[in-house]
Order: sequence, then structure tokens, then C-alpha cells
Amino acid sequence: MMQRTQFIDPGRCIGCQACVAACRECDSHRGRSMIHLDYIDVGRSVASMPTVCMHCEDPIAPCAEVCPADAVLVTADGVVQEAAKERCIGCANCVHACPFGVPKIDFEEKLQYKCNLCYDRTSVGLAPWCATVCPTGAIFYGTLEELLAQRPNAVVSDIVVFGEQEIHTGVAIVAPSGYARDWIPGGLP
Amino acid sequence: MSALRRSTEDAAAPRGLDVAASAAGVAAALVTLAAIYLGSRRLRDFDAALIGYATATVFLAFGVVYRYVVWVQSPPARRYLVRGWGSFLSWRNFRDFPTLVPRELFSNLAFQTFIAKRGAGRWLAHQALFWGVTLATLITFPLTFGWIRFDVVPPGSRYAMYLGGVRTITFAPLTWLGWMIFHALDVAAVLVLIGCTYFLWRRFRDREATTGQRLGFDFFPLVALVAISVTGLLLTFDSALLDGQDYAFLAIVHMAVVVLTLVFIPFGKFFHVIQRPASVGVDVYKRTGLEREGVFHCRRCGAPVESAAFVRDLERTMQELGLRFGEWVETCPRCKRTQRGERYLEQVKRGFS
Repeated sequence: MMQRTQFIDPGRCIGCQACVAACRECDSHRGRSMIHLDYIDVGRSVASMPTVCMHCEDPIAPCAEVCPADAVLVTADGVVQEAAKERCIGCANCVHACPFGVPKIDFEEKLQYKCNLCYDRTSVGLAPWCATVCPTGAIFYGTLEELLAQRPNAVVSDIVVFGEQEIHTGVAIVAPSGYARDWIPGGLP
Repeated sequence: MSALRRSTEDAAAPRGLDVAASAAGVAAALVTLAAIYLGSRRLRDFDAALIGYATATVFLAFGVVYRYVVWVQSPPARRYLVRGWGSFLSWRNFRDFPTLVPRELFSNLAFQTFIAKRGAGRWLAHQALFWGVTLATLITFPLTFGWIRFDVVPPGSRYAMYLGGVRTITFAPLTWLGWMIFHALDVAAVLVLIGCTYFLWRRFRDREATTGQRLGFDFFPLVALVAISVTGLLLTFDSALLDGQDYAFLAIVHMAVVVLTLVFIPFGKFFHVIQRPASVGVDVYKRTGLEREGVFHCRRCGAPVESAAFVRDLERTMQELGLRFGEWVETCPRCKRTQRGERYLEQVKRGFS
């Protein structure tokens, strides 16, 4: 987990779409929203879940590993950047290899876009847009200590398991108090 | 759970000298040397004043081929190299889709229409930069290799251009054609300066470009191109208006800037020039794959994912990389997220309780 990072708590998400609207303000992908807000069990539940880039650390993000053009760079602070514009060939390997379903692709531009932790803001000490506008704290930005100061009983995990593979992430997921495992299921049946 | 974690050693370990890449690089350097030697008629047409450029090009050949061979050894690049060239050179593809490759070469490499989709200004600037650099490359390399030379045709009113020792065209120096031939590099420099001016402006003012930009990777190439163009134009300025009084000094400065830029090509942003043609092969591979094998549909919702060949190949690539969730490729990104949400609801949050 990165020292100052996002903490995603799907249990707090009310599906208001504020994060989706605010994400469009990010300078690195102006006018396009990179956050995903999915309604999980439509018709039976109001559950919704935001998905940002998890900035995988294990040992290199899968999107970067499968890139044939070395276009996905990881900066020293652990942020997995969106594809370098001069290198990306628009093959979509990253789109389909990402276990979290994060990257998007514009085939006409031959360019991948993805959440880059609002690098224009976080690199100068500001919080990402989504965390700034989230009314319920489903997306929190700060250190683990700052999160626990506000939510002392929260359980935090930076390990997501997909079948036989665990992925360590730079962004953390919050579980309710009493959650016994140190990992979160990734959804792969 | 740590047993499920992949080793970080492979990714973190610094690479030693790559033997195969070194061998390929040395072979490329030797081929370049042989091409210079033979093309200049055993150095008879070689201009010793330009030896710095030729030497840098030999190092450039080594560096570019070394990096290329290292690059294509990674599983995803190797797979696309094989698939891309296979599709590009396929007689069956040419027969079934005769216009596909020419269209790709035209739109993707020559006119880079995908950049126009990113912004008209960026496209115009990149076109100016691209054609300027292409023109300069087509002139400079043959000239510094001694493949092309110019000589006076007796009694002295016309010039002749020799290619590999063979006389090609003759022209009067004070005509429009003569001016264009002797100032083609100036035209190239102006085109490059137009492109660089826009991109430098963007690097200072456009927050999309300034986010995460790096001095060595993003600024240095532009500064190098500006330095080459300005020092090149100064040579013309000096000879035209200052009677060439500082020409020797300016020529050395220009050569030093060009040499430094040439040997930098394999290491930085300029390498995208070598990588970009891969997109043609990938496009041909994906489009012909879609036509022949059809689309693969998401296992969960039935939405189209990609071509069946793409899905199969990406699963293999992930397997080779040690990513043990390759079958996840068969699920569309939205269903991946939704299923993760379902597991969170069932196993982590356990409903609203």
C-alpha cells in the first residue's frame, strides 16, 4: 500500500455519481471520467461500488506487464500512470488483463486511458477529485493513520485474491469491523 | 496467502548485458559500416569532414538494434512481433484484404490520423515535426555515408548529383530546383521548429502534458531538435550573410548536437519512432482475426470482448508472465468489476447486516 493513498469502502457507496462527474475535471483526461461506478445487484439491491485504479504492486502492475510497448510506466511513488501517449499502440492488452477492469481505450486515438490517482493533484499534495467530492467517505484519501483516526474499527486490506493469484495493491479496500481475513476476494469464480 | 504471491526478484533485478541483443547490435553496426564502405565506393566519395555523423550512426545502429532485441524478448512484445509480421506478410491477408496494409501504412505511419483524434493542433505540429525529421534523415544519412555527392559539371555552370558514383540529375544552382536541393535541410529545420515550438508551448502551458512530465524524457528531445535546427539554420545564415566567417566553428557545434542526439535515440523518447510501426502489424492482426475467427463474447453477459485470437493469445501471454488469472480475460471489464462487487457484498460486507 502506498503511504498516502485512496481507501475504497464499497459499503459506504450510495451510487450518487459525484465521483464520476468530478473525475472528468482531472487534467490528464479532461472531459472523460476514468472512475467506474457499478451497480452490483440491480433489481434486488441498491449496492454500488466505485472502482479506481488499484495501482498494483505485485511486483509490477499486470497492465504494465502485458503492455507490448512498455507504455505503462510506474513512477517511483508507486503510481501506475496512464499509457504514455507516444508509445501506446492501442492494442487493448491492458484493458483485458487488468483483474479489476480499470483501463479504458479509445481505438480512434489508439490510446489507453486510466485513473492515474489524479496525478496533477496528488503530486502536489491535493486529494484526487473523486475523494474530494465523495459525500459518504466511500473514497477516502490520506494515510492509514488518518483513516483509522476517523474509523477506528475499520479493517483495511491491500491484498486482493483472484483464483490462485494474490495481488498487492497501492490502493486499499476497507472492510467492516470484524472481517477476519487479511485479503479481499477479487471476484474470479 | 504469501505462497500465492509472485516473486518480485524477476522484475526488480537489474538486467545484465544481453548476449543476443549485443550480437544483433554488433551485426547491425557492421552492416552499417559495410554499407558506408561500399556505398561510398570504398570511401572514394566519403567526405572526411562528416566522419562524426557517420561514426554516430554506427553507434546508433548498435543501440537501436540492441534495444529492439531486448524489447521484443518480453512475452507480449514477442507475441505481437510474431503475429504482427505474420499478418503483415501474409499472402492470404493480402488476397482477402488487399487495401488493409496500404491503408494502415498511410493513416497510421505517414499521416498519423490517430493523433488528429487527440487534437488538431497536436496533429499539425506532429506532422510538421515528422516530415521535417523524415526529410532531414533521408538527406543526412546518405550524404554523411558518402552515398550522395555533388560535383561541378564542366565548364562550371551546373552541378551534378552522384548516387553511389553514378551521375543522376544535373541542375543549375541558381534555379528553383537548385535552391531546393541545397536548402532542403533548411526547409526540414523550419518544419521541425514549427512542431517543436508547439510542443514546447504545450509542455509549459497544457496541464495534460505537464502532469508527470520528465526533463530528460519529455524536454530533452525537443530541446535537442531545436538545437539541431537552429545550428543548422545558422550555417546557412553564416554562409549567406556573414561570408562564412564562423562556418567551421558552427559546423562543429552542429555536428556535436546531432551526434549527441543520434546516440540518445535508443534510450529515450525517440525510440517510439522504432516502436510505432508495431501498431500496423497489431491492427492488421486484430482486424483479420476478427474477420476470420469472429468476436469472443463475455462469459457472463455476452458482450463482445475482443477477437477470439486476441483472447487466446493474451491468455498465453499472461501465463508466460506468471499471471495466474488468464481466464479472467474471457470476462468483460464491467463483469469483472461487478463480480468483485458481488463477492464483496457476499463475503466481506455480508449484505446490510
